[in-house]
Amino acid sequence: MSLTASRYDAGGFFDELIDADGQPRPAARALFAHLGALDGATLEARRQAVNAAIMTMGITFTVYSEAGNIDRAWPFDIIPRVMARKEWARIEAGLKQRLTALNLFIDDLYNAQRIIRDGVFPREVLEGSRSFRAQCVGMTPRFGVWAHVCGTDLVRDRDGTVYVLEDNLRVPSGVSYMLENRQLMKRLFPELFQETAIAPVDDYPTRLHDTLAALSPRTGVRPVIAVLTPGIFNSAYFEHSYLAQKMGAFLVEGSDLVVDDDDCVYMKTIAGLRRVDVIYRRIDDDFLDPEVFRTDSVLGVAGLMRAWRAGNVGIANAPGAGVADDKVVYAYVPKVIRYYLDQDPIIPNVPSYLCMHDDERDHVLANLDRLVVKPANESGGYGMLIGPRATAQERATFAGLIRANPRNYMAQPTLALSTAPTLIDDHLEPRHLDLRPFVLQSDRLYATTGGLTRVAMQAGSLVVNSSQGGGAKDTWIVDVD
Amino acid sequence: MLSRVAENLYWMARYLERAENTARFINSTTQVLLDLPRAASIGWDVLLKVAGLDQLYHEHYASANEADILRFLILDARNPGSIIASIHSARENTRTFREVLPMEIWERINALYLYVRDNAARATHGRSQRYEVLNGIIERRQSVIGLLMGSMSHDLAYQFTKLGRNLERADMTTRIIDVNSAVRLPDDPAAAEAARERLWMSTLNALSAYQMYRQHVGVHVSGPAVVRFLLTDPHFPRTVEHCLGEIESCLSELVNYHKPLNVARHAWRRLGAMDFSDVSPETLHHNLDQLQADLAALHDAISRQYFYLHQKTAIQEQGMTQ
Repeated sequence: MSLTASRYDAGGFFDELIDADGQPRPAARALFAHLGALDGATLEARRQAVNAAIMTMGITFTVYSEAGNIDRAWPFDIIPRVMARKEWARIEAGLKQRLTALNLFIDDLYNAQRIIRDGVFPREVLEGSRSFRAQCVGMTPRFGVWAHVCGTDLVRDRDGTVYVLEDNLRVPSGVSYMLENRQLMKRLFPELFQETAIAPVDDYPTRLHDTLAALSPRTGVRPVIAVLTPGIFNSAYFEHSYLAQKMGAFLVEGSDLVVDDDDCVYMKTIAGLRRVDVIYRRIDDDFLDPEVFRTDSVLGVAGLMRAWRAGNVGIANAPGAGVADDKVVYAYVPKVIRYYLDQDPIIPNVPSYLCMHDDERDHVLANLDRLVVKPANESGGYGMLIGPRATAQERATFAGLIRANPRNYMAQPTLALSTAPTLIDDHLEPRHLDLRPFVLQSDRLYATTGGLTRVAMQAGSLVVNSSQGGGAKDTWIVDVD
Repeated sequence: MLSRVAENLYWMARYLERAENTARFINSTTQVLLDLPRAASIGWDVLLKVAGLDQLYHEHYASANEADILRFLILDARNPGSIIASIHSARENTRTFREVLPMEIWERINALYLYVRDNAARATHGRSQRYEVLNGIIERRQSVIGLLMGSMSHDLAYQFTKLGRNLERADMTTRIIDVNSAVRLPDDPAAAEAARERLWMSTLNALSAYQMYRQHVGVHVSGPAVVRFLLTDPHFPRTVEHCLGEIESCLSELVNYHKPLNVARHAWRRLGAMDFSDVSPETLHHNLDQLQADLAALHDAISRQYFYLHQKTAIQEQGMTQ
């Protein structure tokens, strides 16, 4: 056996690596030349070496079940997703453009609300937002930046167009897997990394550190940065610990922190209390501060909002940044970009219908069997209707939900997500995937080179979430002559 | 260093040390059984008593037979001191501070856990397999220590692992010696004398101390000499004396060490004043009990000083150190 592009059939979808004639795309030629030269035994040995490495490196994610929390090994496909640097450069510019505009937008919403007064963004959308935090009104965090870390989900449709599917501005995760995937691939295909110009990804922790350090309220001292985790039972705990380690930051839980009468945040150390300058929080707003948000939260720190408002601690992402991470707000992002930057969006949105508008709602209700309907404030695929796969009964139920609360719903056409060759047993089969790059902003802008490619390991499936059978691939941005 | 992290590091080290010593002490007991004359006997329940686990054991098992006791000590998750539970706890603790330990340490501890998980059942069956598996555990645990010592800055995090390791090690050394006070010897004086010598040799072997004993004490193995060596030799790394010295040197690297240091010195003075010419079961057991109590007090002092901060005091103390 050897892995070749012949006899591979992407079934009419856009394939990331193989063109319509069955030939590797230019960016993937070196990869396929290499794969074709490997015999079956070598390939199998390397795949086993990778699986062993995943076990010993402890790259796991937690699956919650009635039988207790299980650590599953990270499902990793050894065939990378490859993209030409030229295409990536355009996407990278689009990601930076988008985050810049979103941060101007969030800052405006919590302050002058020019965009509402100018009639570009409807007030009722803001009023219907569950993630708008009244406690943040009037704040301007340093640099005017609220969302310091953004995970943007990109998908490619049948015609090759790349769209933004979602902006994750609350606590996006997955970047540690992007970094670990690359470590695994270097163990697996060291020769390819020598022969091909594959852009490195491992500067992310340094960039994240610098992004956070820039938020420190104290000058002249090395900032004390803490990654605030909900704890070991959180499914992303591996990542929290990983990033803290790579940044030389403290990994803290809410109970490790205390806000004192001086409105500064301290952590409890063996030598006493030590001031914390910047918190990279990986818990939701709701749980951040029981004095202000959910009073029953044991994950957060009482008084944290006081300290933040007093300018005594930097918090990333800032409380309230999630207001721009809302499926209905999403539909306005192209207008937001034009309004603040006077530029056309470089990466388009997926066409979206807002049920709050009468004509668009009528269209959605008449075409429920062809659309995906999403609630505004959920993430992780909860509460969605996938029209073509739903029963008539489910569609009728959803129609009722939409009529009862039109602000809470938007709809999009079902996309024909692109595929990439994935190693299934001993041969390649197409599997659907998406791409989550990570974008950073404080005093500077930065985007990961590529990002985390998530792949639906089941044939025909569009579900890329790791909790539901999704896996990952390394993402290569390569120079093509 | 966060108090929570310091405490987890300390316990991670204790759990690993406990697992290794439990393996050592099952091994040595198994060896003794092969060497003892028929008229002598050793009840496997000695292991339970010495480890302080007899009550917990009897909550779960009806009778005290070899197979059940070994199952309980090696792979019963209901026993928090079992080898598998200790290593599992160490592994879970390690997860919470992967950011302060070199990555390879997590990999080694994880590999140790996977080895125990996949092989522990074999150790409860035949005695030959038992020796092989338990030695496999000891070796893998030694490689964790080697990596800690050789690849980790000897910083605060390291000091807390060293504290935990030495405290647990001192405690387990007293328990392994204590096995001797629980053996029933044959009535015939000559046979009893021979058996006694075998027992003390096996105690030395359990602690990998036989060779060093011969070099530094002599070729003759007698109870008082062995006990004195294993408790008070300053240079052999598993003696109580040596462990207390290590603990002192750790504490001197930390802040606000006066209270725990006083407790350590108290234990050390008491050890120095003990007379080991009499190693009859009652006297030996009494002395070892006293040492265990002193070590427990030292643990409490360390916990109070570093793991459970009183916030207001702490702020003042920090103000003074700045």
